[in-house]
Amino acid sequence: MAQNTKPTSILDSLGEEIIRIIAPVSICMFMVVILVSVLDSSSSSSTSASVNSIATIAYAETNSDSSWDKFVGALLNSLVFVAVVTVVTFILVLLFYLRCTKFLKLYMGFSAFVVLGFMGGEIALFLIEDFSIPVDCITFVVALFNFAVVGVLAVFMSKMAILVTQAYLVVIGMLVAYWFTQLPEWTTWVLLVAMALYDLAAVLLPVGPLRLLVELAISRDEDIPALVYEARPVTCNGSGAEGRVAQRRVWRDRGSENSDHESNNNPNANSVFVENVDSGSNSTSNASVVPDSSTESNTLVSGHNDATLVRAEEGWVPERDAELSAPLIDPRMNIQPQQSELEGIGLGSSGAIKLGLGDFIFYSVLVGRAAMYDFMTVYACYLAIIAGLGITLALLALYQKALPALPVSIALGVLFYVLTRFLLEAFVVECSLNLLMF
Amino acid sequence: METGSQTQTTDPGPNPIPNNPNNRNPIPNRSSTISGSSPVWHTIDGPLELSKEDLVSYARRFYKFGFAMLPWLWALNCFYFWSVLLHTRSFPRIHHYVVRSAVGFAVITAILSSWALTFAIGGERLFRPVWDQLVMYNLAERLGLTGLS
Repeated sequence: MAQNTKPTSILDSLGEEIIRIIAPVSICMFMVVILVSVLDSSSSSSTSASVNSIATIAYAETNSDSSWDKFVGALLNSLVFVAVVTVVTFILVLLFYLRCTKFLKLYMGFSAFVVLGFMGGEIALFLIEDFSIPVDCITFVVALFNFAVVGVLAVFMSKMAILVTQAYLVVIGMLVAYWFTQLPEWTTWVLLVAMALYDLAAVLLPVGPLRLLVELAISRDEDIPALVYEARPVTCNGSGAEGRVAQRRVWRDRGSENSDHESNNNPNANSVFVENVDSGSNSTSNASVVPDSSTESNTLVSGHNDATLVRAEEGWVPERDAELSAPLIDPRMNIQPQQSELEGIGLGSSGAIKLGLGDFIFYSVLVGRAAMYDFMTVYACYLAIIAGLGITLALLALYQKALPALPVSIALGVLFYVLTRFLLEAFVVECSLNLLMF
Repeated sequence: METGSQTQTTDPGPNPIPNNPNNRNPIPNRSSTISGSSPVWHTIDGPLELSKEDLVSYARRFYKFGFAMLPWLWALNCFYFWSVLLHTRSFPRIHHYVVRSAVGFAVITAILSSWALTFAIGGERLFRPVWDQLVMYNLAERLGLTGLS
């Protein structure tokens, strides 16, 4: 009569895991689309020349150039950007190798603060101006200060409620993605493709920085110092009742003195990381949890971890530093090796899938840029990206090693955008005009 | 399903879904006969929460940090320890800090929101000379904050 052992179907566990990754990605994309459509409609003229960043350092697109010029300019911009990202990623690998944990953690916290405080504040100001909300400056400053500081704490030390940490990561991804959509159009598209190729190279090539980072982290059994979104692990039914507090695998760079380094400011890690941890009892391990090394008193999970980290790493996203006179570039590292290491996603194992924040960002950039054209492209690109993410997760379960999260989704997204914009729209518009279908 | 023993069917152990905080009741009313040990979760996270020793220091640390003009931190502290707020007698040490965080959050929110509402609703009529100087969009324009810096 103990019915707590209702067998979980594969739909429950596998579906639940996938939902827990797709939901935050969708939320991030949705928020970026809303931001873009609300803020863009008001400021229609601030198109190209307004953003001065490292991604437009080679060429600033103007409206009067020919398509070929724009394309070449965008290509140059993207090459510069990818080069910067590569260099910064290598620096990060070096720092990780030299165990400079504190520095990386501080850098990440600082970066999160800048994103949440300055960029979040700026977007809030845009919204206030657009809607003429009568907020006074005292309330605004207090609210922004609260938001930013708590966000830094949530990202920096992983001791907050999981929901709060996840929410803040999604917000950071959203803010950075919105900023990226302000780049000129050609630059954005070529940049997306370039980042997808870079991700592919950096994770799969043996000399790629992200792969080195992953292997270093695995060999030391540490967390990667990057901003990583970790989905809650699915707990199986019967095994959760043993009073065992499964500690979530906190990125030890957050607040723990372990030698995890948080990557630099706002590292956007695109990693899908599934960690499979077998507890000592070796029954169905339900929570992918590795004991935080700072709490040595109760290591509930014995050293019996099969922690196979799957992480897909992403490149870095340098921050716009026109006004910020930071001595460093402040790159945001999207390092996230995508690893899915469990024996089948969700099949009786309790892996927590981790997706790098850079993945969130670039998916949202694609959808945001599609939103600047029309909502039809938004729907098409959203479906393409989700399909790509599903394919990537399936590959993850198949290959069980670090995989890049960007290429498939970006490829499908760009393809669907082009097809929708140039083919589907004409078709649908004609059909609607002739009252055939609407 | 059929056995009248607790609500085990409807309660899938520690609730993996993070958005119903009240589900994670620490009251061990489920499966106490079955497994012999009923997990008592203090926090929202359930089986993923921090270790027991950490929880008290966590609550205390967040309570203390909240004094740096961070009512939002207090609110999150209460959110995280929601079940502690509901069942006051079970966790005395944590409860001490959580209640104070809740009180602090309520007080500061009351003050701030009354000020903000007065400002917003009263508007120009009340603050004739300074309203224009205090309102955010004017201030932003004046300082050039939204020049897409």
